[in-house]
Amino acid sequence: MATTETDRRELLTVNMGPQHPSTHGVLRLELTLDGEVVVHCRPVIGYLHTGIEKTFEAKTYVQGVVLTDRMDYLNPLGNNLAYALSIEKLMDCPIPPRAVVLRVILAELTRLASHLMFVGSMAIDLGATSPFLYCWREREKIMDFFEGISGQRMMTSFIRPGGVAQNVEPAMLDRISEFIEVMPGYIDAYEELLTGNPIFRERTEGIGLLPTDDALALGVTGPALRGSGVALDIRKSNPYCGYETYQFEVPTGRVGDCFDRYLVRVAEMRESVKICRQALDRMPDGPVHTEDRKVMPPPKEELAKSMEAVIHHFKLWTEGIRPPVGEAYVGVESPRGELGFYVVSDGSGRPIRVHERAPSFANLQALPKIIEGGLVADVVACIASMDPIMGEVDR
Amino acid sequence: MVLDGVFAADAISLPADGITTVSVPLAELSNKISRVRDDLGYSRFVDLTAVDRLRRQDRFELVYLFYSLDRHEWLRVKSWTDGEAPSITPSVPAANWYERELFDLFGIQFHGHPGLARIMLPDTWQGHPLRRTEPLGSEPVDFTVTRKVYGHD
Amino acid sequence: MAITSPSDSDQRSGAPGYILSRLEDWARESSLWPVTFGLACCAIEMMAMSASRFDVARFGSELFRASPRQADLMIVAGRVSQKMAPVLREVYDQMPEPKWVIAMGDCASCSGVFNNYALIQGVDKIVPVDIYVPGCPPTPDALLDSIIKLKERIAAKSSGRHGAQTAPGVSIPRNGTAR
Repeated sequence: MATTETDRRELLTVNMGPQHPSTHGVLRLELTLDGEVVVHCRPVIGYLHTGIEKTFEAKTYVQGVVLTDRMDYLNPLGNNLAYALSIEKLMDCPIPPRAVVLRVILAELTRLASHLMFVGSMAIDLGATSPFLYCWREREKIMDFFEGISGQRMMTSFIRPGGVAQNVEPAMLDRISEFIEVMPGYIDAYEELLTGNPIFRERTEGIGLLPTDDALALGVTGPALRGSGVALDIRKSNPYCGYETYQFEVPTGRVGDCFDRYLVRVAEMRESVKICRQALDRMPDGPVHTEDRKVMPPPKEELAKSMEAVIHHFKLWTEGIRPPVGEAYVGVESPRGELGFYVVSDGSGRPIRVHERAPSFANLQALPKIIEGGLVADVVACIASMDPIMGEVDR
Repeated sequence: MVLDGVFAADAISLPADGITTVSVPLAELSNKISRVRDDLGYSRFVDLTAVDRLRRQDRFELVYLFYSLDRHEWLRVKSWTDGEAPSITPSVPAANWYERELFDLFGIQFHGHPGLARIMLPDTWQGHPLRRTEPLGSEPVDFTVTRKVYGHD
Repeated sequence: MAITSPSDSDQRSGAPGYILSRLEDWARESSLWPVTFGLACCAIEMMAMSASRFDVARFGSELFRASPRQADLMIVAGRVSQKMAPVLREVYDQMPEPKWVIAMGDCASCSGVFNNYALIQGVDKIVPVDIYVPGCPPTPDALLDSIIKLKERIAAKSSGRHGAQTAPGVSIPRNGTAR
C-alpha cells in the first residue's frame, strides 16, 4: 500500500464559537483545517434554543406577537407582520388602507435598520471600524422613530393581527420623511468607504462562492440567493401589503461571492428608501386597525355607551381572538429571505402549532458549502455575508 | 388543473391561506415528493414541519412546503405518521436540518437521513418537548403578592 | 473552589495602604473591559451602547475583549439556553480575579418572557451576578447606568471579590471576602 502525500497530512480540528466575536451570535463551527485551508466545516446550532414555538401554544394569538419580535431580533416588525398576515388570512380580516401603508413603511424602515447592522458588522468583522459607527448613527435615528411611534426601540410589537397598534402622528411621518431624504447620501458615504476599498474587495471578492444550483438546492433565500443571480423577491413574486403598487427594483449579483451579497444588500437599502418615499407620499387617512370587534378591541369611548362593546372587550381580553379551525402560511420577504409563520388553529383562543419558517435556518445550511475549500481567514467574511441571526435559527 | 394525474381530486384541498394542499399516505411520500418537484415544477423546498394532532393513530402531521419558481406559487404536501417517516434529504439537501429538528423536538425518525441527531437541544436531553403531551417546563414564579394571598409568607 | 485570594487591602494599613487601596479600586473601575458575551437581542443594544451615540468607551470599556482571560466584566446579554449554560460557566471560570457579572435584560435576570424548558431561569443560577438590568431589551442608557453603578460599587469596595461558591442571596460583607 503506497502512502501518499495526503496520508501524511495532519488535519487540525479547531472549534470556533459559540462565544466568538465574529460568529454573529451563538454559532459554533467545527472546522477541520489542512494548514490554512478549511477541509470540513460542521455548524452546530441550538445554543439559543428558546422553545418559542412551544411557548406560542401557551399564549393567546395577540400575546404571541410579543414572542415574534424576539425571534429575528433585527427584523422585529417584519416578524410581527408575517405573523399578523397569517392570522388575518385565517380570520379573513381586511385591513384598512392606512394600516397597510404604515405596515409597509415600518417593514422597510426595519429592513434599512437590519441592512445597516449588516454593513456595520461585516465591516467591523473584516477590520474596518469606522463604517460600524456611521451605520449605527443612522440606525439610532431609526430606533428613535420606533421609540416615538411605539415606546420601544427594538421589540415594538406594533404590527398586530387586525392592523397596527396605534396611529402615527403626521409630525412623526414628517420626521421620517426628512430622514428618508438624506438617507441616500449616507448610503453613498458607506459605499465610498467600503465598495471601492481595495482591502475590503480583496477580502470579499471571489470569497465564499455560492453557485446558483447549490443555493436553490440548499433552500437559500433572500439576498444570499439574489447574490447568486436568482431574482426571487417575495415582494415581487407574491406581493402582500400592496407591494405590487410600488416601484422598486430587485438587485441581483453575478457570481455569488461575499462581495455580491454585500452589494445586493446595499442596493436593497436604496430600494427601501424608494419604497418608503412612495409610501409616505400616498399615506391615506382613516383608521389604523380593523373595525371587526372579533379581532380588535373597541375604542375606550365606546365602552361607556355600548353593552356589546363591553362584551367584545371582555371576550378579547379573557379568551383572546379565536380564529376558525384551519391553518395559514404567508411568506414575506425579510432582510434575510423568505419568512413565514405557519399557524394552525383549532378554534380556541390559543394556537395548537406555530412554526416559523426562518430564512437563516436554511441559509446556514449553505455555510459549509461556501466555507469549505477556502482559507480559515475567510470564514469570518463568509459568515458575515450570509447574515445569520441565531435567534431565528434556533428559535 | 396542474395537479391532475398526480393526485386524486379528493386529496386536494385549499385552506384559508390559498396554498393548494395535497394529502399523501406515508408509503407514497417519497415518490410523490419527487413527482411534485420534478414533474409539477415545485422544485424549491421551503419548509418542513410537524403538527401534533394528539390522535391515537397517525399522531403527527408532516407538512412539507414547496415553491415553484416559474409559477410563483406554493404547494403544501401533508402526510401522517406515528413516528417514522422516509427521509427526503438524499434528494433534497435543504431538508437536512429540518428533519433533524423534527427528530429532536418531536421524536420522528427519518429513515435514510445521513446524520439524524439532535440539533437544538443538548445531546443528552431526554424527551421531545414540542409534543403536546410534554409540559412547557415553566417554573412557578415567586411573586410577593401571591405569597401574601396564599399565605406562604 | 477555595475562597478568594486574600484581599490585599486586608493586609494594608495606614495612610499609604489606604491610598494604595483607593488607587487599586480606581484603576479597576476605570477600565472595566467586558468579554464579548452577546447572545441574543440584548447584544444588539449592547452594541448600540458601544457605538458613538452612547459611547461606553468614555466610561472605560474601550474594548470588548474576545478572550475571557483579558476581561474583567461579563455582561450576559441575552437568553441562556440549556446548551449554552456550560459554555457560560466555562467562560466565567476562565476570567481572572477580580471579575464582575452584569445580567443584562430580563432573560438573563429571570428568563423574561420565556418561562419554559429551554432556558436557564435566570443566569444567577450558574454564575454570581452583581447587577441586574431590567428591560427587554434594556435601553443602552439603562445598561450604561448599570455599568456606572457597578463602577461606584467597585470604587467603594463594597463589591466582593469573586471566586467563592456563592448562592443567590448570599451577602458579601465589606471586607471583600464572600462566605
